[in-house]
Amino acid sequence: MTASVQDTRTDRLIRFGFLAAMLIFFALPIVYLFSTSFKTPDDVLQGRLLPEAATLKNYPNAFAHVPVLRMIWNSVAVALLSGVITLVIAVPATYATIKLGAFRRTVPNITLASYAAPPIIALIPLFYLLQTAQLMDSIPGLALVHGLMNLPVAFWLLKSFVSDIPAEIDEAAWIDGAGYWHTLFAVILPLIFPGILATALICIILSYNEFLFASALTFSEASRTITVGMSLFQGERLVNFGQMAAASFTGMVPIYLIAFLFQKHLVGGLTQGSIK
Amino acid sequence: MMATPPAASFGSDRGANQRKRAEWSMTLPLMAGLAIFAGYPLVYLVLLAFSRSDLGQQFQGFVGLENFDWALSGTNFSGSVGHAILFALIVSLVQLALGLYLAVILSKIVRGGRWLRTIVLLPLMTPPVMVGIAWKLILNPSGGWLNGILLRTGLIDDPISFFGNHDLAFPAIMLADTWQWTPLIVNLCFAILQGVPHDVEEAAALDGAYPKRIFWTVTLPMIAPALLSVYLLRVIMALKTFDLVYTLTFGGPGNATNIATFEIWKTALREFDVGLAAAQTLMFAITVSVVTLPIVLLHNHLEKRR
Repeated sequence: MTASVQDTRTDRLIRFGFLAAMLIFFALPIVYLFSTSFKTPDDVLQGRLLPEAATLKNYPNAFAHVPVLRMIWNSVAVALLSGVITLVIAVPATYATIKLGAFRRTVPNITLASYAAPPIIALIPLFYLLQTAQLMDSIPGLALVHGLMNLPVAFWLLKSFVSDIPAEIDEAAWIDGAGYWHTLFAVILPLIFPGILATALICIILSYNEFLFASALTFSEASRTITVGMSLFQGERLVNFGQMAAASFTGMVPIYLIAFLFQKHLVGGLTQGSIK
Repeated sequence: MMATPPAASFGSDRGANQRKRAEWSMTLPLMAGLAIFAGYPLVYLVLLAFSRSDLGQQFQGFVGLENFDWALSGTNFSGSVGHAILFALIVSLVQLALGLYLAVILSKIVRGGRWLRTIVLLPLMTPPVMVGIAWKLILNPSGGWLNGILLRTGLIDDPISFFGNHDLAFPAIMLADTWQWTPLIVNLCFAILQGVPHDVEEAAALDGAYPKRIFWTVTLPMIAPALLSVYLLRVIMALKTFDLVYTLTFGGPGNATNIATFEIWKTALREFDVGLAAAQTLMFAITVSVVTLPIVLLHNHLEKRR
């Protein structure tokens, strides 16, 4: 830094203290959940950060108690399918709105309005819609709902990536006689690939984490998602915290894997999309 | 579809036609998707709200404003809307303050900043249901980490039931919410700070102004509109909160943490009174617009002044 007046030592100390406190605050619940997953029931009652005699039994016991892996698989299937639905609809629409100026005002306004509306609004009507369409309690049914749910988010994330493409590039393609759909696939898609990846990741995470629709629209073992399954632990009279922590942590692994593998894309997508 | 092309500014009529066709075919799926997800529910809700309807059988008869009347006078609905607004405004403000300060600190860090930002990202990625479980483990009366610490240091003699206490339950949910969403604010504020032109700040620094003063008098006014957008986004999201209340308190104790989304959910899926729930939902949607409108207006005002 080239500032002519430096921060005082107290300033730096306060900053360091705050940073350290916040990092502990952010890490603590995850660390404690992870540590609890290795505790025996007696150990849990001690309320200490680390288990006294670590046990691995909570994992197999939790898997025997609730079909954790099956529910994670359901969540992953719903998330991936919904991500495809969202992108297939949102990418061409964003391109047409930003580059062709189609419904330039209408599309941003209706996406924003649908995002602001609390999802509880859609719950009851979609419940009946899925019932009529014979998609109730199924992976495609929930994926469809999540896919539509994430359209506004996808539009606003993609918008900034599409706007960043210089106008000359696609105009040159049109003049060369390429159709608009062809331009989109051959010229635009490769250019905004990082944006598409970031948007896909964010939509997949939002779907995987979603609970309200999943809890009302899936109930059998064949389609119930992990967030719904974990909420059922809450209803039990005698909760085995060690098993609950083991199941929760397993359910968080796919998301944390994405976070670590695609950290750069995620951060880029989150910030670029929402600021502009 | 339109039979006649608009002003033929793009080459031939054929070219304009082709363009119109592309515009429609590209945007129609999005419009249809939003019509299914937002448009159709709204129409359906209006019809439900004026009828006697339960989950199994809808539209048993037209009842006028009865559902609205009952929602306001005979249920906990208005209290739950108050809770939701209070919750949204408070957590958003706390998170904006914490997140902005943390972003300022992170933007000064030269090395290891990316590693720190990954840690900060984790709460944001965690499914809200699991956030609830993690915080339940921390705050639980038996075996909770916080109670363990307080008991061992002798600060308390009996464990505190944070989620069972009328005054502590809401702050406890706010704490969990702050844990989950402050990271989003950090990332957004970080990006906003990166966009601040350095020359103004440097000029102030050469004039001998202290960094703290530069932040308050130069940087903050510049980023105020962007910060207000972040606040607005967070308020809108916070008004949708449901999962944390469901996993942590189920609206209790009593109605202490009963927020609008949870009250509507209970009415529809526990009491099966879908007509009443629809009336509540419409009134809540109107409330959301009324609450967010002043923030939008203030944002537009600041934006214009620049």
